[in-house]
Amino acid sequence: MGALNLTLRVWRQPGPDAPGRLVEYKAEHISPDMSFLEMLDVVNEGLIRKGEEPISFDSDCREGICGTCGCMVNGVAHGPDAGTTVCQLHMRRFRNGDTITIEPWRAAAFPVVKDLVVDRSALDRIVRAGGYISMNVGAAPDANAIPVPKLVADTAFDAAACIQCGACVAACKNASAALFTSAKIAHLNALPQGQAEQHRRAVRMVEQMDIEGFGACSNEGECEAVCPKEIRITNIATMNRAYLKAQLVAR
Amino acid sequence: MSSRPTFFSSTVGSKILIGLTGLMLFGFLIGHLAGNLSLLVGAEAFNAYAHKLESLGPLLYLVEAGLVGVFLLHVVKTLANYRRNAAARPAGYREKKWAGHTSRKTWSSTTMALTGLFILFFVVTHIRTFKFGAWYVDPATGHRDLYRLVAEIYQNPLYVAFYVVAMGLIGMHLNHGISSATQSLGLSNQRTGRTLVLGGRILAVLIAVGFAALPLYMYFAHQVAQ
Repeated sequence: MGALNLTLRVWRQPGPDAPGRLVEYKAEHISPDMSFLEMLDVVNEGLIRKGEEPISFDSDCREGICGTCGCMVNGVAHGPDAGTTVCQLHMRRFRNGDTITIEPWRAAAFPVVKDLVVDRSALDRIVRAGGYISMNVGAAPDANAIPVPKLVADTAFDAAACIQCGACVAACKNASAALFTSAKIAHLNALPQGQAEQHRRAVRMVEQMDIEGFGACSNEGECEAVCPKEIRITNIATMNRAYLKAQLVAR
Repeated sequence: MSSRPTFFSSTVGSKILIGLTGLMLFGFLIGHLAGNLSLLVGAEAFNAYAHKLESLGPLLYLVEAGLVGVFLLHVVKTLANYRRNAAARPAGYREKKWAGHTSRKTWSSTTMALTGLFILFFVVTHIRTFKFGAWYVDPATGHRDLYRLVAEIYQNPLYVAFYVVAMGLIGMHLNHGISSATQSLGLSNQRTGRTLVLGGRILAVLIAVGFAALPLYMYFAHQVAQ
């Protein structure tokens, strides 16, 4: 497979309040073995050489575990592959001559900072509202002091795999953060350590999700399909159950 | 940003109410279809069934008022979420595709608001046509001859076509609605999730086909009889 010559249509926006637009760039002599972000690095080096402002985008680990990167690639969050972040997307997925549209996550709760960078601190505030357990500090407890059945541990771990990238919000037609919030609630509510605060957690995290201005869940599962960690939407059923139960018992 | 929500104003509480009222309306449809199948037995059986319902008196009014309440709550909560969802993404994408893979997104799920709006229009028309339609009296029993009204109305092929299309749209609404309601109510889990989606589809088809069969039967049966 030879080098790729591509046309990019990239969302450029100088600042939060500045108007943005799609700008066309040529990405030439791109190796098919590059990752999508490496391709953007190459384009940026070209822009810097020409004295232009490089395209801003978030990235950190570049191996799909940190949750920092993320953008819409041809209308799909993190691009066409299942279970991957955009840093794990390889250029061999594209054909010579392709046009690729690259846009930031879109949500009222995710304001654009610059170009493809959005402010996802709304998700941090949802975690702060109840995505934790309270315990006394001191010596670390013995690893197996609290027995956790294998099935429970697996369920909790599957939900805990969430890396908070925000793709679920970006893919949802309602910009709902239900998958993210439910993964946190399902993770902690499944474990013995999370029991004491289970009701308060469910109510506060749902409340914070609404306060941040995310939409409601329409149960379409677009979030699950784009999630790099393949978090299941059954977690949303778990969240709704926990929220209803918490509303029924006295707080 | 909005203020701290209560159960009724929260997105999750709203979806629980929408799901609950939706399942209630689905339950009503099953009962409605079961009763209407007496059309296949004949005029006597259908009129006897209709009279039995009428003779419930105040109890019937209570059930009807309950149904209207459930229907309105379903619509009002949906409208509230619809407004909220539109505000959650003020600037849209220039390019957006369906994600595929495990997604449950279908034409049914994307058109819920439209099919819902149509159902609202249909229900009003439907009640005006039959409940408040011509009041024929069966000389044999002295009760309402509802069968005659049904048979007359379904002599018009346009009306039959309208009903069949309407049942198709209701089927689409249920195709997403039934399994979506179980998900909203927290009744699905990792083991049952996919089965509920499939079960919802099958039930939606059964309801739509069952209801659509009645006007078609009335039309063709009477064509043959003439």
